[in-house]
Amino acid sequence: MALRHFSIELEELHALLLQMGELVESSIRRSVQSLVERDKELAKAVMRDEPRVNQMQVEIDSKTTRLLALNQPVARDLRFLTATLKINTDLERMGDLAVNIAERAIALLNLPAVKPLVDIPKMAALAQSMLLKSLEAFVRADADLAQSILPSDDEVDALKDSVYQELVELMQRDPVTIPAAVDLIFVARNLERIADHATNIAEDVIFLAKGIDVRHHMADQPK
Amino acid sequence: MRHFVEELEDLQGRLLEMGTLVESAIHQSVQALEERSEELARQVLGNEDRINHLEIEIDELAVRLLALQQPMARDLRFLTAAIKINTDLERMGDLAVNIVERAMALIQRPAVKPSIDMPQMARTVESMVRKSLDAFVRREPELARSVLLADDTVDQLRDTIITELVSFMQDNPAKIPQGLDLILVARHLERIADHATNIAEDTLFLVKGVDVRHHLEPNF
Repeated sequence: MALRHFSIELEELHALLLQMGELVESSIRRSVQSLVERDKELAKAVMRDEPRVNQMQVEIDSKTTRLLALNQPVARDLRFLTATLKINTDLERMGDLAVNIAERAIALLNLPAVKPLVDIPKMAALAQSMLLKSLEAFVRADADLAQSILPSDDEVDALKDSVYQELVELMQRDPVTIPAAVDLIFVARNLERIADHATNIAEDVIFLAKGIDVRHHMADQPK
Repeated sequence: MRHFVEELEDLQGRLLEMGTLVESAIHQSVQALEERSEELARQVLGNEDRINHLEIEIDELAVRLLALQQPMARDLRFLTAAIKINTDLERMGDLAVNIVERAMALIQRPAVKPSIDMPQMARTVESMVRKSLDAFVRREPELARSVLLADDTVDQLRDTIITELVSFMQDNPAKIPQGLDLILVARHLERIADHATNIAEDTLFLVKGVDVRHHLEPNF
């Protein structure tokens, strides 16, 4: 079987990865929207999209492995392909986390609303933008763009801490709110982890573009 | 350059070294929690750097072998599995550190009544980790499958523990911070189990060339 030009195959891989990223971003957005608006149908729609995300993950993985095997790429293309394997895993996990949020949203429907949600949507907006920018940075091999999302991760962490504090105080004042507050703490943590995965992608891009490994240089900072 | 087979063995050896370190980090983190031992907690923190360095070493080695050896079929599957398993192991090490952080927080506060399910969950998770690594090293699909089944047990235990802790907090509002820390520990353990499951799935892919991911997940 004649192989199409390698660069065309790479372009297709880019496109697939972006498509998966858009789907995952939409899952994150809708999962948080379903939580805020107490919209069960929207939460279920997020859950229904999960098999599609999973299918894309398998497709991207097998395309990438095939390109690795048949084209014997060297240097830059090789780094790009191994990064694709990692980013694909990150995206799939982000999709899972969005599904977890949708599940919490449904569980919360059985409980009275405990507080207006302000910081959680803020966290979601940051995480969504981190995801889109990190993928754009990846396909453009733009280390500066990748670098620019790293501070957002600290913002997300700070928001998670303040959500946690606020909910602990609420639970202590009013123990009836405990089950709902625990669910909201999970949602905040899931969003934090989504932001961590976007950060992983950005770090992979910086590595790819500069050939240096930034991963654990940042591990010294508190998470 | 050394023979490719030796390089692959070297890679597998380093992955195993990393696996052993991570396994012991998980064990010590749970022990630190159960025994309220700051010393054990610090040991886990002390090993984090070693794990992080190994992750980078393994990654570089795997990528170099992919590039220079142009492996086919089974060797290619091994290398891509190695890259994934390496990532899983590093995250498991991070989760052990997260458990230690909760243990440290819990040590600062009055002790709460120990749950029976938490040690059972910890033991189940530790055994999944060990089995997933053994299955990978020995290429044993049956052992890998047993890890996939245990993941359901872990999810059930997590649900039981969370339900238990929610009512504990409602009965003891003064102990809400401890209750939340323990809930987070249960979540961290569950995620370690998820990573062990990933390793088992990668092992099945390696041995059988079949992608089992997502086939075992419940349908909506």
